Amino acid sequence: MPRFHFDVHENGRFIPDENGQEFVNAEGARKEAVLTGASIARDAFVAGSAHHVVVDVREGGTPCMKISITLEVERA
Amino acid sequence: MPSDAIRAALVRRLHVSSGISEDDVKEIESLPISVRQFPAETPVVRDGERATNCCLIADGFCVRSKTIASGKRQILSIHIPGEIPDLMSLFLHVMDHDLITLAPSTLGFISHDTLQKLHRRRPNVAEMFWRDTLIDAAMFREWIVNVGQRPAPSRLAHVMIELRERLRIIGRVDGSSFEMPLTQEQIGEALGITAVHANRVIKQLRQEGVVELQRGRATVLDERKFLELADFDDRYLHQSPIL
Repeated sequence: MPRFHFDVHENGRFIPDENGQEFVNAEGARKEAVLTGASIARDAFVAGSAHHVVVDVREGGTPCMKISITLEVERA
Repeated sequence: MPSDAIRAALVRRLHVSSGISEDDVKEIESLPISVRQFPAETPVVRDGERATNCCLIADGFCVRSKTIASGKRQILSIHIPGEIPDLMSLFLHVMDHDLITLAPSTLGFISHDTLQKLHRRRPNVAEMFWRDTLIDAAMFREWIVNVGQRPAPSRLAHVMIELRERLRIIGRVDGSSFEMPLTQEQIGEALGITAVHANRVIKQLRQEGVVELQRGRATVLDERKFLELADFDDRYLHQSPIL
């Protein structure tokens, strides 16, 4: 099974994924990346510690996908 | 492991949580127990299986968990030496979740028949075990609150402090440090987050000087911050019979 790594960027802060995880295919990795980004964003957006969360997915050493979640608040 | 050592953690725990009498201790110490060694991450009893024994953890760590159709797993509780995590199988014979070892474990199996006879002979012991399963339910309530309402760093801190307070009863806390043999993935499964998010939370707690979790061992860096973050009130553990 291919091994994927999920590096997280919160605003500018970079959190590398040293371990990585195996998934049957890229679809499994996409789901994991979205779940990860959404759950990190949930906490960070509420706390106000970030408004932009990016999950960079690597397969082996090669970038293969990028999930980007941004908070926009429009006040009247 | 000598056979009294197998029962020692159970008796120690019952002393603290239920104030067990000397006669009842003797009864428990004379229970026939068949001891088996289990490697890490091995099912002890599976969801859907019919149980005929209850399992006393003599040494090691286990979890109860449930896996949904997509293959995702929720860890429901963590169990330590002296606990009988499948005590409810005495009355609910078909398992509705899995019991799995986390670390290599020494498990003692007591037959349902033996336990039923003990309960009839010693109603006090039956009451103690009843109290035990009620405390179990109190912990599940707390886990629902934890996973449903707290942000991830607080969830982790809460699960860690709960584990520490339970380990303390059996004398397994060493100053500011205690065993917590969960991988990032397993921590994610206990908190309802992905392994990558769990990794991020573990790093955050270390960077903020709250607690360090490394190679299956937790070390508290700042007790006040740790308690505050966890929003921890130990009342639900009911660790004294007079409360």
